[in-house]
Amino acid sequence: MRAVIAEDSILLREGVERVLSNAGFELVGSYGDADQLLARLPGDAPDVAIVDIRLPPTHTDEGLRAALEIRARHPAIGVLVLSQYVEVGLALKLLAASAEGAGYLLKDRISDVQEFASSVRRVAEGGSAIDPIIVSTLLSKRRSDDLLAELTPREREVLELMAEGRSNSGIAEKLVITIRSVEKYVSSIFDKLGLPTDGSESRRVLAVLLYLRS
Amino acid sequence: MATPALATRDLTYRPPRPRRALVWGLALAGCLAGIYTFQLAYSTVGLVDPGIRAGLSVWVFVPYILAGLIAWWQRPTNRFGPLMITAGFATFLVMLGWSKVDVLYTTGVALDLLPPVLFLHVFLAFPSGHLHNRFERKLVGAAYATALVPTIARMSLGGNGPNNVLEVTSQPAFSDAILRVQLVLSGAFALVGLGVLIARRRREGPPLRRSLALLIDSFALGLVMIAALAWTGAFDGPELPTVRRLTFLVIGAAPIAFLCGLLQARLARSSVGELLIELQRDTGPGALEGAVARALRDPSLILAYWLPEFGSYADLTGRVFELPVERPDRTVTVIEREGARIAAMVHDPSLCDEPALLEAVTAGAGIALENAQLHAKLRAQLDELQGSRARILDAGRAERKRLERNLHDGAQQRLIALSLELSLIENATSTNSVDAARLASARQEIAVSLDELREVAHGLHPAVVTGHGLEVALEQLVAHAHVPMRLEVDVGGRLPEALEVAAYYLVSESLTNVAKHAQASSGSIEVSRRDARIVVEIVDDGVGGADAERGSGLRGLADRVETLGGRLRIWSPAGGGTRVRAEIPCAL
Repeated sequence: MRAVIAEDSILLREGVERVLSNAGFELVGSYGDADQLLARLPGDAPDVAIVDIRLPPTHTDEGLRAALEIRARHPAIGVLVLSQYVEVGLALKLLAASAEGAGYLLKDRISDVQEFASSVRRVAEGGSAIDPIIVSTLLSKRRSDDLLAELTPREREVLELMAEGRSNSGIAEKLVITIRSVEKYVSSIFDKLGLPTDGSESRRVLAVLLYLRS
Repeated sequence: MATPALATRDLTYRPPRPRRALVWGLALAGCLAGIYTFQLAYSTVGLVDPGIRAGLSVWVFVPYILAGLIAWWQRPTNRFGPLMITAGFATFLVMLGWSKVDVLYTTGVALDLLPPVLFLHVFLAFPSGHLHNRFERKLVGAAYATALVPTIARMSLGGNGPNNVLEVTSQPAFSDAILRVQLVLSGAFALVGLGVLIARRRREGPPLRRSLALLIDSFALGLVMIAALAWTGAFDGPELPTVRRLTFLVIGAAPIAFLCGLLQARLARSSVGELLIELQRDTGPGALEGAVARALRDPSLILAYWLPEFGSYADLTGRVFELPVERPDRTVTVIEREGARIAAMVHDPSLCDEPALLEAVTAGAGIALENAQLHAKLRAQLDELQGSRARILDAGRAERKRLERNLHDGAQQRLIALSLELSLIENATSTNSVDAARLASARQEIAVSLDELREVAHGLHPAVVTGHGLEVALEQLVAHAHVPMRLEVDVGGRLPEALEVAAYYLVSESLTNVAKHAQASSGSIEVSRRDARIVVEIVDDGVGGADAERGSGLRGLADRVETLGGRLRIWSPAGGGTRVRAEIPCAL
């Protein structure tokens, strides 16, 4: 699996490179700013691009703009945005139309090596990786008609993992239950929240996030 | 700032007036000349309508003499008055052409063509009494020469009958031809003079005072009539008597218009009283300029106040006012009180002809002027204070932003790298369970530190606002709000950083207040644009009773908003919810 990275801190860039090569990724490009990343992207032909949200020259939104551009122009390439702060508004901006092949994680997550590698893999394969902080923030949001209150604690757990972008098998593994029971929980959750079920694991992430945001 | 070169004037200097006896003597002579003209006309055999002819002459020269004397008395150094007097008496001398005494007759006839040239001279030399440039001097010089020299030649050829003492030989046809040439030329000179007046008006714009405009119009009309009269005479036009009467009427109107202007100045002096009454009513410094302008009958008048602390003039709002450089249509008079400069008045130069009026008005408005000066000074200082408050807040914001950057690029990155390193050690070596637990606990510590640092960094500067805009940043505040909040942002793109940050803090602080005090069940946040203002409004349906002055953090927000030139208002009736509304100017 081919990966590229754009990160201006050498310390972190090297760290991520190590994590990824240990996890069996082929690192085809490593850049300090967004322009180089975008310029070399066609040649590098990665499965996933890992992009720091704050990149030179202004350290404001260069990383996010590069991520959005990759998602618009190369939909086959997964984009994982790393940031030292994760915010709902930024997640919504990045996902906009779909959560497929998109990830948005706190930089701290790098140090949880296995989990991080599996997040990168998920995004590379067209799935999603949404930081748990985003999900918990949205879950804690006050609503006037709170259908979430009707979920059982177990269903809530499944909802959280689903919103983070995990597949049914990933959820089953995490909660140590069978895939069958995950599927049952998922359909019950969609039922209770009144969301349409189309069965696709990649599309449900955005549906759930948008529901939580409203 | 250095004061620009000014056409400033000393209000107290008065040149010595002409001798009173001389002035009265000339006035008397003018009146006697008028009576004598009638007598001459009626004693001349064969003169048609002697009363009208004499009356028209008197209509012209007596007002010229009297107006000239008044002008001379009022402005002793100005040559315009004497010039008018000369034109008046010269016109009278021409009337001697009706005399039966040969010498008087000869004098009158010899000067026959002089008055039109004198009028041309008077009209062009207004208001200083001096011709403005070489062209005008040449024009008038040529006109004088044309009016006098060929006349002598013509008379020596016997062109004016037996009583002409200058006759040498009798060649009437030749003499007539010379006269025609003289008349044609005189008419042409008058029209050139008219052109000069028109060009001057186009260059300097119309005079600002109405009486002046009237006067110059009468000059122009006078020149047209002179040309008409000269050419009608040259070609023996049958309308000659009518044209002559009209010409005399028009030329006599010029000194009347001049006297009207002087009279208006007189009346203006009585307006000083009105000014004082107007200033008694507590109209505030804003009305002062208008009142002074009315008193001086100069709507173009501008007052600028001297601010010694700033070394410059300012308008009433305290903004720097640059005095205009000297222009033909603007003059500056500096107003002082007890030796201290108070203000400057930019006005029409014609007011300089009325120093007494200027002095009376500025003295009358003295205290009001001083008040207005203080007002301007206060406003200027307030502006300066506001500017320095904005600079201090700006500097603070820049410094906090820098610190946030340092934390982000330094400590936070290092801690993450360190945590990663520990994780890699944990995975790479076959550590025993105790070491593994210690490594995990160390990583946990780092995670907590990172969370705390994140809080600190965000408290220093909301980087998301600067990086991604207000709308994106507000999503997070809404997500964390204690009650459901509806968010609506419609400002058409990014706003200036200071404004975005201020709006962000305003919403953040308001939401904190909602959580702490409001006991609300829902609310809304709206950021919208109203023309050149951004409106931020946070509304909740709670218990109300919030007080901006009660240290609830709202005071600081009001400061922030006011520094940006905006205003913060809070409505919070008990039991009626709370509405916080900031309006901040923001250019489109």
